[in-house]
Amino acid sequence: MQRFNFPVVQPDPALEELRAELQTFLREEREAGNFRPEPECWMASADAEFSKKMGKHGWIGLTWSSQYGGHDKSALERYIVTEEMLRAGAPVGAHWIADRQHAPMLLEHGTEEQKLDILPRIAAGECYFAIGLSEPGAGSDLANVKTKAEKVDGGWKVNGQKIWSSGAHMCHYMVAILRTSPADGRNRHVGLSQIMIDLSLPGVTIKPITDLSGDAHFNEVYFEDVIVTEDCLLGEEGGGWKQVTGELAMERSGPERFLSSYITLETALHQLQGKLGSDSHARLGKLIANLRTLRGMSWGIANLLHQGVSPETEAALVKDLGNRLENDLTLQVRALLNDLPAEEWSDEMRRILNMGILRSPPNTLRGGTTEVMRGITARQLGLR
Amino acid sequence: MINTEGMVAETAAKIYTDLCGREVPHEAEAGSYPQALWDALAENGLPLAWVSEDSGGFGADYDEAFGAIWVSAEAASPVPFAETLVANWLLDRAGIAIPGGASSFALLVGKTASVSFASAADHVAVYNTVKSEINLYKTADVATGDGQALSPDGDSRLDFSGATPVASAATNLSRRAVEALILTVRAVQMASAIEAALNMSIAYVSDREQFGRPLSKFQAIQHQLAVAASESAAATMAATQAASALAQNADDPEKAWHEAVVAKVQIGHSVEAVTVPFHQVHGAMGYTQEYDLHHYTRRLWAWRDALGNEHHWSKLLGQELAVTSPDQIWKGVTTGAWIAS
Repeated sequence: MQRFNFPVVQPDPALEELRAELQTFLREEREAGNFRPEPECWMASADAEFSKKMGKHGWIGLTWSSQYGGHDKSALERYIVTEEMLRAGAPVGAHWIADRQHAPMLLEHGTEEQKLDILPRIAAGECYFAIGLSEPGAGSDLANVKTKAEKVDGGWKVNGQKIWSSGAHMCHYMVAILRTSPADGRNRHVGLSQIMIDLSLPGVTIKPITDLSGDAHFNEVYFEDVIVTEDCLLGEEGGGWKQVTGELAMERSGPERFLSSYITLETALHQLQGKLGSDSHARLGKLIANLRTLRGMSWGIANLLHQGVSPETEAALVKDLGNRLENDLTLQVRALLNDLPAEEWSDEMRRILNMGILRSPPNTLRGGTTEVMRGITARQLGLR
Repeated sequence: MINTEGMVAETAAKIYTDLCGREVPHEAEAGSYPQALWDALAENGLPLAWVSEDSGGFGADYDEAFGAIWVSAEAASPVPFAETLVANWLLDRAGIAIPGGASSFALLVGKTASVSFASAADHVAVYNTVKSEINLYKTADVATGDGQALSPDGDSRLDFSGATPVASAATNLSRRAVEALILTVRAVQMASAIEAALNMSIAYVSDREQFGRPLSKFQAIQHQLAVAASESAAATMAATQAASALAQNADDPEKAWHEAVVAKVQIGHSVEAVTVPFHQVHGAMGYTQEYDLHHYTRRLWAWRDALGNEHHWSKLLGQELAVTSPDQIWKGVTTGAWIAS
């Protein structure tokens, strides 16, 4: 009896056709100067125009019904789209989170009216969502959130503060986890709910936070007596904890957990082809072997999710391994580049490598820190 | 996952459960060879799984026997089951009659090669890379070098230069095809041994108490084993991917070479990342002869050297990738197609 369930799934010719289309589009866009490749692009590089173009091609909202503006395709098609975007370092940050997690959330918990209103706009690359989890006092200890919603006539009144909300300054909505009733003694997991908040409502204040790389993609978001309608509570009142942990588990094994820095390697490979010294061969061989293995694991989980299985432990393992690999990749590329005299490095190479280094700290933090991942794994191993 | 369902793997599982309890590898090492285990495997024809039906084998798919190999490594097999499977595969493809009994194999570049189970195997099937021929030797006819073996299987250095084979045949099997099979077999054994040792470690830290509580309750221990678990899962994926590539390319195993090398490199590097925490959490008990952990860790240390260590293979793979286009590399990473078709 094997402990972990990672099926090996062969490539599908239909998906490879889609991949070829994506590659052509990305090459043309890049050659036309419509985007500049960036490491960590799904977080740090957002361009509404680019998202709209993707929407026109039908590459957002792949997984949901055409009734809601989607494309009736599978999560596997979406996987191919996301990995090609990451490889190219394309500016996908605007729509990424809405497409990945909030649209599925609305499909499951939203009203018919919300689905008809919002989902087609997400699929068109025009409507963006921010994650509303962290607060100043609630990082890894997410259950410690203090933002709360009180029942008022016809809806909810929200007060509190979220932080590290990526893209909130350009997002239309946030789905926040907040307290709708008090904790039950020491059990803080009860009384939490998820509420969708229109960020244009009165009482919402968004303040940018600049990170050490100079990027200003994340924000503090304040709520002061913000009134939302009743149907903005998504899912079960008091069931937010279970919803949110389930959601997090679903998104831990995607390609953005190990390919965020691939553009750095891709750029270096173009520069280094045929120029690597023999001392570098082992380094390259090991790096690619690691990437191939992680891709196999991540793709295996994508196929399980596609079949309706949610392998929480496997996803946590992929995130831990993948985040380490992303950071290791940048370091290995630094070493490989020794084979090219520094004056021969392209400006683009230098920019991408340096941005990759500056953007590396969040890799092992966002979406659940490495320590939290190891805690989840330990629990699944029966150690906690 | 390696598929352990199917007749070959299930028969092997039953035999190993019945005849290879935890004391058996200990007894084997103390000099009491588990003949009954070998006889049961042989009577059921399992070492002939990959031999064609015309030659008296099962003509089984690669998958089926890989399941049996997983099972054998999980039991720290003290008989050369996987080795005989490989030897018989080589011989059958060269049209050499299968000698019966236990065999081992070697890939010979010069005069000498490391051979596991040299003392338990009656024969060694050798793929000579220079002449592209397969030679069958009686082990007793080959000179054995001195040296410290890593594994309890006895990974001896054998010198074939003075020995006369009992059978020879030219083969159209390429070196890469042979490497693909051997590396994949070792990868499956290693992934299985890593998981078995992980399971032992989890059981040990749950049981052993210090400072008034089980070791498993210490976060430092939990995190070490969580990391080891991630390496274990990656090892199994790499091995499964390689096994699957062979199954997909049964007519041309050379096409599975890259995936086999990926597995070799991935798992070879994992060995240190797992054996260190496994021994660390076991404390002194873990490195006593009396305890079982070394049945896995010593085999892992030996297997990662099979056909050259992980550094050698990383370099070989990297050498090829260094002159491969970035598009083709990406294709390899995402689809396993490493060569332009």
